[in-house]
Amino acid sequence: MTAIEPESFGPPAAAIDNLVTGNVDGGGPSRGAIPGRARSERAIRVGAYAAMTAISLLFFIPFLWTVSTSLKTLPETAYFSLLPNHWSLQAYHDVWTKYDFARYIENSAGLSVAITLITLVVAGLGGYAFARLRFPGREILFFGVLATLMVPDQLRLVPVYEMLVKWHLINTYTGYVLIKLGLATSLFLMRQYFLTIPKDLEEAAKLDGAGYFKTFWRVMLPLAGPALAAVTILEFQGAWNDFFWASLLLQTPDHYTVQLGLAQFVFQYHTEWPKLMAASVIAILPIVAVYLVFQRYFVAGVASAGVKG
Amino acid sequence: MRRVLLTFLVLAIAAVVATTAAQARPHRTAAGPSGNVVLSGWASSGSEFDFLTNVVQDFEKKYPNIHVTYQPINGNYPQAMLARFASHTPPDVFYVDSSVAPDWMAAGVLQPLNSYFSKFHFSTKPFFPRLLSGFTYKGQVYGLPKDWSPLAMEINTSMLQKAGVGVPTTWPALIAAAKRMQVTNAVPGGAPICLSADWARLLPFVYQAGGSFLNKAGTAPVLNTPAAKKAINFYVGLATSGLARTPDQLGSGWCGEALGKQKAAIIFEGNWALPYMHDTFPTVSYATYAMPHGRARGDLGFTTSYSMAKDSKNKAAAWTLLSYLTGAQGMKKWTDQGLALPSRSDVPPAAGRSVLIKEAPYSRAWSFFPGFSDVYTVMNNDLTAVFQGKKDVQGMINDIQAATVKALKK
Amino acid sequence: MSAEAYRVRGGRPGRAREALVGYAFVLAPMAVFGVFFLFPIGYAIYISRYNWGVYGSQGSVGWHNYGWVLHDPIFWRSMRNIGEYTAWVVPAQMALGLFMAVIVNQKIKARTFFRSAFYFPSIASSAAITTIAIFILNADGLLNKALSLVGYDHHTPWFYTTTTAMPTIAGLNAWTTSGTMMLFYLASLQAIPNDVYEAAAIDGAGRWRTFWKVTFPLLKPGHFFVAVVSILGAVKLYDQAFIVSGGTGGPDYATLTPVLLLVQEAVQNIRFGYAAAMGVILLAFMVVLTLAQRLLFGRSEAA
Repeated sequence: MTAIEPESFGPPAAAIDNLVTGNVDGGGPSRGAIPGRARSERAIRVGAYAAMTAISLLFFIPFLWTVSTSLKTLPETAYFSLLPNHWSLQAYHDVWTKYDFARYIENSAGLSVAITLITLVVAGLGGYAFARLRFPGREILFFGVLATLMVPDQLRLVPVYEMLVKWHLINTYTGYVLIKLGLATSLFLMRQYFLTIPKDLEEAAKLDGAGYFKTFWRVMLPLAGPALAAVTILEFQGAWNDFFWASLLLQTPDHYTVQLGLAQFVFQYHTEWPKLMAASVIAILPIVAVYLVFQRYFVAGVASAGVKG
Repeated sequence: MRRVLLTFLVLAIAAVVATTAAQARPHRTAAGPSGNVVLSGWASSGSEFDFLTNVVQDFEKKYPNIHVTYQPINGNYPQAMLARFASHTPPDVFYVDSSVAPDWMAAGVLQPLNSYFSKFHFSTKPFFPRLLSGFTYKGQVYGLPKDWSPLAMEINTSMLQKAGVGVPTTWPALIAAAKRMQVTNAVPGGAPICLSADWARLLPFVYQAGGSFLNKAGTAPVLNTPAAKKAINFYVGLATSGLARTPDQLGSGWCGEALGKQKAAIIFEGNWALPYMHDTFPTVSYATYAMPHGRARGDLGFTTSYSMAKDSKNKAAAWTLLSYLTGAQGMKKWTDQGLALPSRSDVPPAAGRSVLIKEAPYSRAWSFFPGFSDVYTVMNNDLTAVFQGKKDVQGMINDIQAATVKALKK
Repeated sequence: MSAEAYRVRGGRPGRAREALVGYAFVLAPMAVFGVFFLFPIGYAIYISRYNWGVYGSQGSVGWHNYGWVLHDPIFWRSMRNIGEYTAWVVPAQMALGLFMAVIVNQKIKARTFFRSAFYFPSIASSAAITTIAIFILNADGLLNKALSLVGYDHHTPWFYTTTTAMPTIAGLNAWTTSGTMMLFYLASLQAIPNDVYEAAAIDGAGRWRTFWKVTFPLLKPGHFFVAVVSILGAVKLYDQAFIVSGGTGGPDYATLTPVLLLVQEAVQNIRFGYAAAMGVILLAFMVVLTLAQRLLFGRSEAA
C-alpha cells in the first residue's frame, strides 16, 4: 500500500498514508518535501481524522443513547435529554434480580455457540469441497445452496413448523439449532476464500501423502482464518439476535433466549425504557466480546494472507 | 446386532409397562379437579404481571390441588398463540382479544363453554351482554370477558382552565373548546386535540351520529350513509383544520403519550391510559370524562376474554381456573386497583372509574367477523391517507365497503 | 487413505475418489438444504392449493389462491414498495460498505477502532435498532432537533408520512447493515494480492486511478456477492416495516412489504394456503431477479 502515490487518493487516505510513513508528529518533511505543502497536508490529515471520528461517533449514537436511557428513570425517558438528570442504576438492579436474565443469557450463549460451531465445520468442509474438489453436479448443488438466500423465513414457516411438530422438536434446543442452520452466506464466504488460496500449498500437502480431510484440516483451514472469523461473527450474531424463530419455537420461559427476555419490557401502550435499555446493554456485551476477539483474528489472518505470494 | 435388538425390545417393553402402570394409578379423588394448568396472556404493563401473579396465588390457596403456571407471552401474541395451537401445545387458559376472537372461534382452536355453564351452574347473566357477544359464535360461548374498557375523553385540566372553557359534552362544544384553546395558546408547541388515524377511535363518532359500520344482522357494511359520513367528516375535519393532530405529529407513539408530554389537551383513550399516566407522567393533571355525544351517545368497548384451549390436557382444572378468574370474587380481586374495569355488572369498579363504567350501555364491542383484520388494515391505511390529503373521504368509504363485502364473503 | 490415489490425479480412480470425498464433504449442507429448504418449498406449493388452517387442510381450492393474490391490488402495492425500497437501499449499502472497507483496509492509526465503530450498528438486533431509531426520528427527536439547527424546522415524523416512511427505513437499514457489507468487501479486498498494487505503482498510476482501474474491477466477485446478499435481504424486508407500522404497513400502505402482507394473511387471518401462494409468487420473483443478476454480472463470477 505504501508504494502508492499518496496525494492523488483524496484527503483521508493521503493523511493516513503519512501517518503510516511516520509523519505523525509532522516533524520531518513529507514526501513532497515542499515546505508550505507540509502544513496544508497536516491540516488535511487532522481534518480527515476529525471527520472519521465524527462518523464513528455517529455510528456509536444508538449505543450511547441506549446506555444513557438505561440510567434514567421512567418518567424521564418521555422527554428528550442526552444525559440523565438523575443517574440511577435501578433498572440494572431490577433487570438482574426480578428477571431470569442469567438463564436467558445461558440459553442464548449455548445456542449461539452450538450454531456457530456446527456452521464453521459444515460450511468449512462444504466450502472447501465446492471450491476445490471436482465432482459431477457441483455447480448445480452449489447454486442450490446459494438459492436458499432467496427463501423468506416466513414462507418456510408453516411447513417447517409442521415438520418439527411431527418430530417432537418444538420447544427443544435441537429443533431450534436445526432450523437456524441457514448455511448459504457462510458457505459462500468459505468457498470464495478457499478459491483465493494458491493451489501449490495443497499440492505440497498431497505429495506428502495427506488425505483430503487431512489437507483440509491441517493446511486449508488454518489458512482460512479471516473467512472463519467473519463466519463466526456473522453466525454468532445472527443466532444471538434472532427473535422470529425463537419466539415461535422456544415456548416456555426455561427455554427463553435473551431476545425473548427483552420483549418482556415492551407493552402495548408503553415501554419500560430504562429496563429495556439496561437489559439491551447486558444483552449486547457478549456479541461485542465475540466481535472484538474475532476481528483481531481477522486482522491476523489478513497478515498471513498478505505474504502468501 | 441381535443384542442391540434385544436390549431395545426389553427397553420398549419396560417403557410400555411403566406407562400403563402410571395410567392405572388412581387419581386423587379428594376434592374436585387437580393437576397443572398453564395460564397465558400478554402483559399490557409491568404491574399487570404482578397483579395477575397475586390473583393466581389466591386461586391456588383456594384450590390447593391445582397448580397454575403463569406464562405471559412476549412479542407478537397472535403469532405465538397460533404456533402453540398448531403444535397442540397451547396453554390451558389464556387471553383472547375481542378483535381476533371471531377468527379463533372459526378456526376451532377454542373450547366451547356452554356445556360447562350448565354442568357447573355458572351464570353468564352478570356479564355486560355486548361484551359477551364478542365471544359468541353460532350460539356457543368461547370465552368470558375478563375485563374491558370503553373510550373516554381525557382532558388536561390546567390547559382547560387556561383556555377558560368548560368540559365539552357535544360535538359543537368540542370544536368550540378546541378553538378557544388554540386562540389562547393553551397548548404551546402542540395541538388542542390528539386524534389517531385509527378507526378504533373514529367508530364511536359514527355511533354518536346514529350511524354504524355493519347492518343489524352483521351481513353488510353501512358506512355509505349520511350519518356515518357526517361523523367521518367531523373526525377528519378536526385533523385537517389543525384543531387536532396525530400522535406522530406530536412526537408521540400514541395519544396517551401526547397528553403526558402536554402536547395535547384532549384525547380519547380508555382505562389503559390511567395507569400509564400514573407511572410515566405522575405530575400531569388531567381528568376523565364521558365521550361527547352527537345525535346519540355511542362508544366502543374493548375487551379480552379468558378462553380455554380445545387441546387443553386438563379441562376440568382449566375450567376451575377460568370460572374463578371471571367469577365475581376473582374479578373483584383483579380489578380492585383500577388496572382494569370489571366486565360483570355485579362487581363494582375501582374508585374514580365510574365515568367509564357509565359508558357500558352505549358501548358496542370491538369485534366483528372472521377476517376483519383485512378490513381494519384498509380502514387505517386509508384514514392516514385521508389525514395526509392523499385521498378523499368518499374514496375511503368505497374502499372499506368493498373490503368488508369481500371479507364477509369468505 | 493410500497416498497412491492422489499421485494419479486426473486418472480415473483419483477422480472417482475425489468426487466421492466431495459428495461426503457437502453432504451436511445438502441435507440442510433438502430438509429445511427444498422440502418446505415443495410443501408450501402443496398447501398453497388448499384452504389451510391451524389444523391443516379445510378443502382444496386448486390454483385459485394464486389468482386471488395476483388480482389483489394491495399485493401489487407491496411489490411496488419493495421495488422502490430495493432501489434505494442496495446502492446505498454497497457504496457505504465499500467506502468503509477501503478506509479500514488502509494502514491507519486506530484502524481497529474505526473498524469496530463502523461495524457497531450491525451488532445490535434489528428490533433494538429500529426501536431506538423511532425515538431518534420522531417529530421532536434528535434528527429534527439537529435539522432545526441548520434551518430546516419542519418536525417531520420520518417514519409516519407517506413519502418519507420507506426511504427512512432504507436509510436506517443501509446504515445498520453497511458494517456487514464492509466485512464482505474487506474479505474481497484482502484477496487482492499486493503485487497488483505494486505493478500499478510502477506504472505511475495515482491512488484514485488505481482504485477505479485496478481495485474496483478486481472486486467483481465481491460486488456480485454483496449485490446478491443485499438485494435478497432487501426483498425480504419485514422486521423494520413491522415494528415501524405496528404490523399494518401504514401510513397508507407506504411500508407494506410482501413478506409483511404474507404474515398478516397467515397470522391475522389464519389463511396459511393463501399466504403460501403469496410466498411462492414472491420466491418466483426472486429466482427471476437472481438469474437476471447472474446474467448481468456474467457467469464466471459465481463459478
